[in-house]
Amino acid sequence: MSPQPQAAVGAPLSRVDGRLKVTGRAKYSAEHEVAGVVHAVMVDASIGRGRITSIDTSDAEAQRGVLAVIHHGNAPKLPYKDNKASNNPPGARLRVFQDDKVRFHGQPVAVVVATSLEVGQHAASLVKVRYDAEHPTTELSKGEPDKPTEYSRGDVDSGLRKADVRLDLTYRLARNHHNAMELHATIARWKGDKLTVWDKTQWVVGTQTELSTVFDVPLKSVRVISPFVGGGFGSGLRCWPHTVAAALAARVVKRPVKLVLTRKQQFFGTGFRPEYEYRLRLGADRRGRLTAMAHELEHETSSYETFTEGVLDPGRMLYSTSNVSQAYRTVPLDVNTPIWMRGPGPATASYVIESAVDELADRLGIDPIELRQRNEPDEDESSGLPWSTRRLRECYTVGAREFGWERRSAKPRARREGDWLIGMGMAAGVYHTARGAAEAHVRLAADGTAIVETAASDMGPGTYTSQTQVAADALGLTVRNVTVRIGDSLFPPTPPHGGSQTMASVGSAVLDGCDKVRRRAVELAIEDEDSPLHGVNAEDVVVRSGRLHVKGDPARGETYRQLLSRNDLGHLEADGSYAGAPGTERHSMHAYNATFAEVAVDATLGLVRVRRVLGVYDAGRIISPKLAESQAFGGMVGGIGQALLEHTATDHRDGRIANANLADYLVPVHADVPDLKAIYLDGEDREADPLGVKGLGEVVMVGVAPAIANAVFNATGRRVRQLPITAEALL
Amino acid sequence: MSTELSDSAPPPPNEASPAPTRRTFIATTTAVGGVAIAGGVIGGSILSEPEAAAATAAPTSRVALSVNGRRHTFTVDNRTSLLDLLREHLELTGSKKGCNAGACGACTVLVDGRRVNSCLTLAVRLDGAKVTTIEGIGTEDKLHPLQQAFIDEDAFQCGYCTPGQIMSGVGCIEEGHTGSPDEIREWMSGNICRCGCYPKIVRAVEQTAGRK
Repeated sequence: MSPQPQAAVGAPLSRVDGRLKVTGRAKYSAEHEVAGVVHAVMVDASIGRGRITSIDTSDAEAQRGVLAVIHHGNAPKLPYKDNKASNNPPGARLRVFQDDKVRFHGQPVAVVVATSLEVGQHAASLVKVRYDAEHPTTELSKGEPDKPTEYSRGDVDSGLRKADVRLDLTYRLARNHHNAMELHATIARWKGDKLTVWDKTQWVVGTQTELSTVFDVPLKSVRVISPFVGGGFGSGLRCWPHTVAAALAARVVKRPVKLVLTRKQQFFGTGFRPEYEYRLRLGADRRGRLTAMAHELEHETSSYETFTEGVLDPGRMLYSTSNVSQAYRTVPLDVNTPIWMRGPGPATASYVIESAVDELADRLGIDPIELRQRNEPDEDESSGLPWSTRRLRECYTVGAREFGWERRSAKPRARREGDWLIGMGMAAGVYHTARGAAEAHVRLAADGTAIVETAASDMGPGTYTSQTQVAADALGLTVRNVTVRIGDSLFPPTPPHGGSQTMASVGSAVLDGCDKVRRRAVELAIEDEDSPLHGVNAEDVVVRSGRLHVKGDPARGETYRQLLSRNDLGHLEADGSYAGAPGTERHSMHAYNATFAEVAVDATLGLVRVRRVLGVYDAGRIISPKLAESQAFGGMVGGIGQALLEHTATDHRDGRIANANLADYLVPVHADVPDLKAIYLDGEDREADPLGVKGLGEVVMVGVAPAIANAVFNATGRRVRQLPITAEALL
Repeated sequence: MSTELSDSAPPPPNEASPAPTRRTFIATTTAVGGVAIAGGVIGGSILSEPEAAAATAAPTSRVALSVNGRRHTFTVDNRTSLLDLLREHLELTGSKKGCNAGACGACTVLVDGRRVNSCLTLAVRLDGAKVTTIEGIGTEDKLHPLQQAFIDEDAFQCGYCTPGQIMSGVGCIEEGHTGSPDEIREWMSGNICRCGCYPKIVRAVEQTAGRK
């Protein structure tokens, strides 16, 4: 952190964009007023695999108001140049309307453009597509796995042989869809060869590069605008086909086009957390010390792209184990490509590892927290690097105390209240600290207000607010005199708004830019003979509420306004930057949590109700405590969904997603969520980044599902090794 | 995609309706007390194509309703939902489309004081109705107490479900379903918040109800 007094950082401020959001004035992608806009409606493949043999658009085109029906038979050929600066996984991305091939059920096969939404929707229903259908393969167990990614240390076979206790457990995790509340939407407008797109994205720079390569136009010719994102959880981390379709349609009809995916279309038009099968074998001695862990896992990917995620990290570093092996396979299926979803990788691995460790503790009669403490590693055993900060033991201690862990019965099915069996469970969570290169522009005006511009996004965590807090302190301004502008590719570039890297990356760039501007002002003052600060050592000057003064002598100083106007300066500005993670890390950096849950399970009906959740987090410095608490609650609610409700169900006969709507794909509602509690350990991580933050949007979700699963076991004595844990599974 | 038509027999196509631009539509709606006249087809077409005459035109109806105290009369495409009327034609984008199927509550507005899912409500059914949206409660200078409570409690993150939560909360308080946090949870369960701000939303509703 800078030597500046910290007034805004760490203060429980309300959101700076709160007023816009509670009055409905915050503009999301489909809501920007673009003159002359017409509506595009997608037509989706009704088979799971095969070829389009004909498309009859005559009935659709006979509707008054239909401007065009675009499909592979008439769409302009698009260059689709390689895009290396993207989140596109290895493979060949889906090319919108470029061939007759159907790769998955629901793939976009045509788009109708009409002057009204109603006409477009009706016309889309009139497009007749005929297919030569093949039987799709959408079942994980039926696919042909790719070659595995492997890891090993020590000797797992010998570690398992030596063990006093061995467990061989296989877990299944359902596919989950992000289902952010805002529908994916794009408004596209061409002016000559210049394309402007208002898009729901977590990375305006990524959408910009994708559109630039797809249409083969210069990067500078594409502008992507996305000031507000109505939730993302990862679904906006890459540019999906509908965004290209909107831009393509706008070019064909020569008018701005708005395309809003339906909720159903989002289930196959954007990505998902893939379905997993995960086998874990572990061995331990009688005292609970792990002697070996062998992980074999596989998940679905599409037939045309190989999606992977960082699912292996927790298995290598969370617990001390000399002998570890991992084999990670992707299984190509006739499905859309997955994408990272909140806590990507660790949210899956932690469910498996933390459930298994709980099972081990139960087998050995050791308290689950004690067992974890006995396996706490002194360093990252996968890299040999020291921890930057790792306060997991403290998370356990604080959590156990605050949750009343001593009231838990070690024996399952021991506590009953009427029809309800009551149980408590806990789990550890971990997520690596990611940082990427980021830039920001800072401009301090002569009136003592500042504007910070950066291409970052805010899908809900509070980027506007937290960056304002960082900037306000570094510039020595009050929060209300700082305006942060984000979500525009015209602003300096940032990494994707995902992987919990925005605060560390963008925040460090904002800090750098603001420090530079403040230092320039201080230099100006101390060199200015007319300034009361003339001749003062620069290190001795601080700025508070827009006033520069000598540290310890508030009377000696002047305001930015006085300084700049006396020097005839309209403004001071600087570019801030942050290089991101170094090529070679010197420390192993992660955010951690211990999550505790109490559930009640109806003994007859198998219904699970979550009664309490507590999360204790080691996430480094907390910039914005009020918003951080909301983030934690969001992670817990996401975890309740993952544990008990969320399950994308595919009809394997034709590859159709059978519950592609919010009535059948269940997510937690008010009545599912009890009082929640979040505790952030006070502290910072000086190794991680200049702000000392470790990221928190992901880690808050990791560990929630296993804590609930372990509580269900404690309540019922039943070990359900699949997510979601449904009433049926408990009967 | 498919669109639903109302169960009643569809009225004959309104052949007399010219097809104005959005600009002419807006110009012909007036504020409270004024006489509202519009010949426009809301959700209808603006066609310049030569085949337009032969094309199948949208079925339309005339409807007069008040939105946030402002009266409008217009001819709407019978398939237009109240939500699309608000978002696509009146530029009142505070009401959100989250599922378009009545499952998420993001589109919640008050119709004659009752909370409804505007995505499931056809505009043609609302002749004479009074619609209140998020833009119609509170003012720029003085927020509705529940809006302020949402800010104070940080009862939202991405903000997309927020207008629906607030309109639903206003309805919930009005209905008196705020006797306990559990009661609020039950009566607010039609409004999904994927960011998971539920405990804070309940607190905001509880506090606002307590102040009434």
